[in-house]
Amino acid sequence: MANSNLPRRIIKETQRLLSEPAPGISASPSEDNMRYFNVMILGPTQSPYEGGVFKLELFLPEEYPMAAPKVRFLTKIYHPNIDKLGRICLDILKDKWSPALQIRTVLLSIQALLSAPNPDDPLSENIAKHWKSNEAEAVETAKEWTRLYASDA
Amino acid sequence: MTLGSAGSSVVVPRNFRLLEELEKGEKGIGDGTVSYGMDDGDDIYMRSWTGTIIGPYNTVHEGRIYQLKLFCDKDYPEKPPTVRFHSRINMTCVNHETGVVESKKFSLLANWQRRFTMEDILTQLKKEMAASHNRKLIQPPEGTCY
Repeated sequence: MANSNLPRRIIKETQRLLSEPAPGISASPSEDNMRYFNVMILGPTQSPYEGGVFKLELFLPEEYPMAAPKVRFLTKIYHPNIDKLGRICLDILKDKWSPALQIRTVLLSIQALLSAPNPDDPLSENIAKHWKSNEAEAVETAKEWTRLYASDA
Repeated sequence: MTLGSAGSSVVVPRNFRLLEELEKGEKGIGDGTVSYGMDDGDDIYMRSWTGTIIGPYNTVHEGRIYQLKLFCDKDYPEKPPTVRFHSRINMTCVNHETGVVESKKFSLLANWQRRFTMEDILTQLKKEMAASHNRKLIQPPEGTCY
């Protein structure tokens, strides 16, 4: 009953996510809420997150696709654009959202954000400071956190 | 598919609902006489919260600041949070020994609905303080805790 009014667009997107998943990304809707997805993103190679499996959750609000999906990390991660509650600072999730984008593009953008942290537009001030003052050390901390929190999902 | 019924079918999951409540709480609510925030900024499941109510005018509670603990378990908001006064208060729906708000004496908790929020609980408790059966009750010394 709860999903009887699911828009066709969401059904289509979900089918494609399941049949042709993007490399290193999986997203599946939960059984009792087709707008709520369990997401896993593999840490990109050549990034401090390599080898990590990161769990996220994604929700398509009522206004979707006129409003962006809501996404956050559930796995702890040391990244200047992700805060302690896993919230993500990414323009397409906010003012740069367009209904032409999809769940897939959002998750690919998050994966890209892991490869290219942007300490000039931080969500976690302390981590961004660390990144700008001593990038090598910040990267080491990010690798350490990946080992500690993202290695066994 | 009918447009009119689309709205009621969308269920905001627990965590995103609590993130919404967190953001609203951070911006500040109404006249500021009720407020709340998260206790542990590292708790990814956002379980433990502290609420504050400023006692309403023309009651024995006027000028007092009451602190409460709200605990949102995994089944929130299907189930209400547990609500417990930290500051001592004499009120009909509050257990005298523990400070727990007893749901059978507080209809918002007894008749809980998924759309209710922590803000609703605090606002309703503030109204309850001003109800005729509570507004004149003798109170414990100000600033004492359970």
